[in-house]
Amino acid sequence: MSGIATVWSYRDAFLAGLGNTAALVGLALVLSLPLAALAAVLLVEASAPVRRLGREVVDLFRCVPFLLLAYVIYYGLPEIGLRLGAWWAGLVALVLYNGAYFTEILRAAALSLPREAVEAGRAYGFSRAQLYGRIVLPLVALDAGPVIGNQIVVMIKDTALLMVITVQELSFVANFVNARAFAPFAPFATALLLYWVLCLVAEAGVGLIARERRRRYG
Amino acid sequence: MRIDSLEHRPGSGFRDDGRRAAPDASPDAPAVSARRICKAYGGTEVLRDIDLDVAPGETVCILGPSGSGKSTFLRCLNWLEEPSSGTVLLDGQPIGRLPGRDGRPRPMNARELAAARTRVSMVFQHFALWPHLTALGNVVEAPVHVLGRPRSEALAEGRRLLERVGLAERADAYPHTLSGGQKQRVAISRALAMRPKLLLFAEPTSALDPEMVGEVLAVMRDLARGGQTMIVVTHEMAFAREVADRIVFLDGGRVVETGTPDAFFTRPHTERAQRFLARYAR
Amino acid sequence: MTFDDVLTLLAAASITLGLSVAGIALGLPIGLGLALLRSARLPVLDQAIAALVSLVRAAPIVTLALFVFFVLPEAGLELAPIPAAVVTLTLNTAAFDCEIFRAGLAAFPRDQLEAASAYGLRPATRFRRIVLPQLWRASLGPLVSEMTIVLKGTPAVAVIGVVEITRAAGRIGAQTYEPLPPFLAATVLYTALIAVLVRGQRFAEARIARRYGYAVS
Repeated sequence: MSGIATVWSYRDAFLAGLGNTAALVGLALVLSLPLAALAAVLLVEASAPVRRLGREVVDLFRCVPFLLLAYVIYYGLPEIGLRLGAWWAGLVALVLYNGAYFTEILRAAALSLPREAVEAGRAYGFSRAQLYGRIVLPLVALDAGPVIGNQIVVMIKDTALLMVITVQELSFVANFVNARAFAPFAPFATALLLYWVLCLVAEAGVGLIARERRRRYG
Repeated sequence: MRIDSLEHRPGSGFRDDGRRAAPDASPDAPAVSARRICKAYGGTEVLRDIDLDVAPGETVCILGPSGSGKSTFLRCLNWLEEPSSGTVLLDGQPIGRLPGRDGRPRPMNARELAAARTRVSMVFQHFALWPHLTALGNVVEAPVHVLGRPRSEALAEGRRLLERVGLAERADAYPHTLSGGQKQRVAISRALAMRPKLLLFAEPTSALDPEMVGEVLAVMRDLARGGQTMIVVTHEMAFAREVADRIVFLDGGRVVETGTPDAFFTRPHTERAQRFLARYAR
Repeated sequence: MTFDDVLTLLAAASITLGLSVAGIALGLPIGLGLALLRSARLPVLDQAIAALVSLVRAAPIVTLALFVFFVLPEAGLELAPIPAAVVTLTLNTAAFDCEIFRAGLAAFPRDQLEAASAYGLRPATRFRRIVLPQLWRASLGPLVSEMTIVLKGTPAVAVIGVVEITRAAGRIGAQTYEPLPPFLAATVLYTALIAVLVRGQRFAEARIARRYGYAVS
């Protein structure tokens, strides 16, 4: 029971850590999804050489462990004159890394769209922007929703790696409390439970999208 | 999938010179005037020198064996398929290519093409409804977002159109809950909502279960009687014979025979038409 | 970066590879066992496994590694960094493998099971002769994806002091005051390792498709 008391006495730190984790995930989502949508459109529309190059870049990001990318950005950005704190470097890493995954997810979904639905849009005089905005994107969002949800779960867990570059997120806090109080079980168990809750929330979101998709597509 | 893999790339050295389309052509201009339409994929010619004029109010059925090029030709009329050569005028105005500054034809840019396509609507073989929108949503989508009609007005007209095809009570249903025949009737309402000068039907009943063919043909028959200009690619011989003002028979990418339904079905004068009828019109 | 540094990185790569292989090899049977236990639908145990799998799937590998490394000794199980890392990776991948096998089992055609029973095959034989040979083929694609994820997850165990590729690269960077070259070299190493796995998967899938006439996804 002393463990619970320890965690309780550090509740502010845990809340701050949880807040940091949630803020990183939320902000990274808000930034990376539109970027990925744009990149996916470019990958679909661009000329063949550009398309190939784009896919190579996306594949490269997907081959690199997230921690390594975070390191490269944390230590690499100052080399090109950009001095960011750990938190911001972590955010950049999250956005780039997940942006690459989202791009691939959206691209694949766009490629498997019902051809005729898109063609009907053209036949009815939609401009290219309208075609994307009103037909392709809504369809892709419903199609790719569950896969994006899974990637969000991966993203939540990736934020934990940012403790290594000293971002004060949930795992950093748990480790900090463990080091201070010499009682490992309660802080780490608390962190794991909180991650579980975050992931369950994300999965519930996926469930909602999946339900909406079933309602519309059957 | 490239969204526009079948159309011209914009920005190909020409800029939209802002020229508006010519004022409305004289009332007796043909609804469609296609001249010397050719289409080749690689080395294979699928359409060879096809001419077609359709008068306002006329219903033309295009018949022919599969692979005769009839669907490709239909798709050339709204430039979903770009002919290798030839011109198409819709209601007296060109689609696909415009005279360029140097007098040579230049491809329409995306905006011009989209504008030209609003004058013609198409009903697809596999319905091509937008699955994320309800029946009514499908009907009002293009009128609101392409033609810029007020939403309330479009909704009212959309409900009227759905009622006309007998689907008033399914207005809020998503496509996947509709039967094939219902989907195609929604698709026809969607086409009518554009108030098109010309309606194209690309084998509208070929993907339907037999018991649903009748309900779709009934709607089309009403439209033809109401004076809607229509071009119908179909395998429904009885429908063509009853409803068409004129039959165009395609084979091997050429117009082989054309005439009134009566003449075509009772006295086909080419051997190929006779063979075709012997096989399909029973 | 000197030649010695490159050797250090390569040595670290063998640690990364060894950890991954150990985790995958231990995780596969555990995952399969859990999936089979769940398919038996035993009361309480079913819910317990489901909750545990869900919790572990939601646990970041770093956090899980810290938990294993610091908490197990409390329970009297003192683990050196490398065994702790193997336990962490095994736990993590077993949870994901369990879900993959469960999906494969759920999609298994019922009529085949009935046919096997009708021919008098006992459940154990039925599983070994009919289900398993098809299950692993159908699960191969997702399993290989999971293996690449394990490989990409290994840097997380650096946090408990295991010197695998990423940590080795970090050390070299700290010594030379030039962190970028070793990290970029590490990127090349990971990409090569993952490319080999993906190639292997394509090869295996092509063979399966040729021999059995169906593709696996």
